[in-house]
Order: sequence, then C-alpha cells, then structure tokens
Amino acid sequence: MTDHVTFPDAVQWAVPFFIAAILAEFLWIALRGRGGRYETRDAVTSLVMGAGNIASGFALGFIAYAFFMWLWQITPLNLGTSIPVIILCFVVDDLRYYWVHRFGHRIRWVWASHVNHHSSQHYNLTTALRQTWTYTFTFMMVVRAPLILLGFHPAMVLFVGGLNLIYQFWIHTEAIGKMPRWFEAVMNTPSHHRAHHGRNARYLDCNYAGVFIIWDKLFGTFVPEQEDDRVDYGLVHNIGTFNPLRVAFHEWVGIWRDATQPGLTLRQRLAYCFAPPGYSHDGSRDNSEQIKARHLARHPEDRGTPGFEQFEAETPNSQAKQA
Amino acid sequence: MPLEILLVLVVGGIVGVTVTLHLTGRSRVRELTPDIARSEWLRHAPDDVIIDITVAHDRHSALIRTNSGNGLLWSFGADTVARHLLDFDWMEHPQGFEVQFHDFGTPKVIIRLDEFERRHWRHLMEPA
Repeated sequence: MTDHVTFPDAVQWAVPFFIAAILAEFLWIALRGRGGRYETRDAVTSLVMGAGNIASGFALGFIAYAFFMWLWQITPLNLGTSIPVIILCFVVDDLRYYWVHRFGHRIRWVWASHVNHHSSQHYNLTTALRQTWTYTFTFMMVVRAPLILLGFHPAMVLFVGGLNLIYQFWIHTEAIGKMPRWFEAVMNTPSHHRAHHGRNARYLDCNYAGVFIIWDKLFGTFVPEQEDDRVDYGLVHNIGTFNPLRVAFHEWVGIWRDATQPGLTLRQRLAYCFAPPGYSHDGSRDNSEQIKARHLARHPEDRGTPGFEQFEAETPNSQAKQA
Repeated sequence: MPLEILLVLVVGGIVGVTVTLHLTGRSRVRELTPDIARSEWLRHAPDDVIIDITVAHDRHSALIRTNSGNGLLWSFGADTVARHLLDFDWMEHPQGFEVQFHDFGTPKVIIRLDEFERRHWRHLMEPA
C-alpha cells in the first residue's frame, strides 16, 4: 500500500508548551516553597538530552520509518484514518509502549538506552525531557510492527506515539499530589510515575505505563506510591556526571566493558548484554529481585506490602523458625 | 514546524531556563555535615555499617569508613554521589586529590583539602 498519509510531528509542536510549563512549574515551586526541586546543571543536562533526542530523531528516524513503510507495503490491511481508528491506534500503541518500557527495564540492551531518563536525582518537568539518543540501536521499533501489519498507517502510529510522549510530560512533577480517584484508577498520573522513578527497593520495576495505568494492573506491575516510603529518585547506583555524552552512552560503555572482559563464556557475555540490569557472572552485583530481598532482610515488616508482594508475608511459623 | 523556528525555541528555551535557575540560586552545591554524610551514604549503600566519617573542610566531600571498606561521598549539584573505593586511582592535585574511577558514568572527582587534611586523608585512603 502506498497511499500518502501525513500527520504532524506532535512532539515538535509541543516544544513551546514544554518550555512554558517548565517555567510555570519552577515559579510555582519558588513561590510555594514546596512541590519539587530544581538544580541548574541537572536541568540543563535534561534539556540538552531532550534536544539531542530530537536531533537523533532527525538523524536516525529514517531507519525506523523505512522499516515501517516496508511493513506497510506488505500488509494487506488498511484501517484508514478515521477518528475512531486513531483513538484505537492510540490505545493499542499505549499497550505497545507498556511492553517496550518494560523491556527497557528488564533487558540491559534496552536499558542502556532508557537509563538516561532515570539518571537524574530530581523529578520535575525537565526530567521528562531527559530522553534517549540511542533508541534506534535497541531495535525496539519491531514492537510496533504488529500495529502496522494490523492496518494502522505508519504515520498514524508515529503520531499517536508522539501524543503518548506529550501526555507523559506533565506527570513528571512533584507539584501535583494525587488526581481524583477515578483518574488515578485508569490513567498514569504524577503519583504513579513518581513511584516508577524511585530507586527505593519497593519501587524497582513498577508502573511502566505510558498513558493508561490499567496495563500495570493487568500485568501485575502496579505499585502505588506510599506515603510512608517517600520516593528517592535516580538510579540504584547514581552516576556522577552532568556531561550529556556520558549520560547518553555510559551504560553502552558498561555493556562493552563487561561483555568483552577476558575469561567469560559466550553465555555470560550474552547475559551481560541481554539479562536484566544487575546481572554479573560472579555475583558481585545485585539485580532488582536481590535488592528487594536485601531490603526485606533489613525491613522484614515490609514483606507482603506493595512492591514486595512476590515475597510472601511472614507467617508466625516462619518467624518462629528464624527465631 | 520549520527547522529554524524549532532551533530558536530549543536554544532559547535552554538558555532561558539556565539563566533563570542560576540567577535564583539553584546552582548552589550541597554542603555536607557528618550527619548528612551518614544519611546520604546509607541512602546509596543501605547495607553498610558506618565506622566513621571524615568531612572535608569545604564540606563537599566525605570519606566514609564502613564494614565493607572505604567509600567516598561527594556533593553533586544539590545531591550527592557515593562510591566504594574499590576500583580507582588517586593522585595529587593542586587543591587536594583527584580520584579517578574506572567508570564512564562517574569518571572522576576532585577532593579539595588543605595541607593538614591532605596528610590525614592520604593516610586514610592508603590501601591497608
């Protein structure tokens, strides 16, 4: 199919809104004295990462687009571009986003691209723009293939993907506490996404949603923000650089150094590339399950609470055995 | 959107936000006290048992001795970064020491020390 369909690049058109909203959030925090923190170098790094993300889209976006157009050529299906189809595409693409995001936290190769978004110890609207420069190299564009093969036009798929990212901008804030209950139940919100950015053991690998939090509830990865466990933003091992080049590439360099060290089997080299972050062949590092287990060893009272459901609550018998 | 306009918006936005933040005091570096250093270290390395803490006079670095070895905590903008001193090199620097970590994401840190501190820290950082 070669029909000509165009949609605007929504993210580019949202840039003035992004800048205005950042200034508004900063003013709100400055006037109220609460609702978040800003730090100059951290914010500048985030903004430069955002600019680099747009630039990498210009430089490398053609690779994904050529792949999508090839899929469009071979699919016999065409759902058209009516409003209901665009809405359906938005919802299905949000499911696609959920899984790409989940892969981004559970496969080191994809994490190497996504890690920079989590590399700030702050959580404000500039953090939303701290985006990857290396997404193309993760090959996660293949997760969009089913949408195009089902008959959603590539331009529409990219358009709704842009809307998805714009939606996620406003949830990167501490200035908003909780939204109305019905909204928190269905939509991704600042509260849900704050938990996602937490380096606390409780919040590791949770709340992958883009727009609809229902995917996390459906697939068992939802953890509500807890009032008694304030979110500590950043990485388990926070990086010590504001240099955007180092922020963008540090995990790729880490993969290279780990996978090319002498004396490893092929399986170990592949695990350094594709196993969940925290893998090590000699057990010298902890993955998120091990970090949670260590936390529970220090805080057994958290066993069975949100984020630790996979570790059953301690029964009186097991406590007696330990005693 | 025309590329020229996008470019002006992006560059203008970054410059505007940077100037606003700097002029309103958001470039201040975190100052450490022994208590802050302790809580920050345990935030980064919650399994450690801290033996003692030495904070540099400029309050931007602290040497932490723990049950799992020595560690360095330093101010990083408004926050802190911590590393166990396991895989690193350190060398004299006109202002104190330069510690180089073999880590692309955390390449180095300069610890500012006066002459008295320099001797003490050298003694503490020497491998046992």
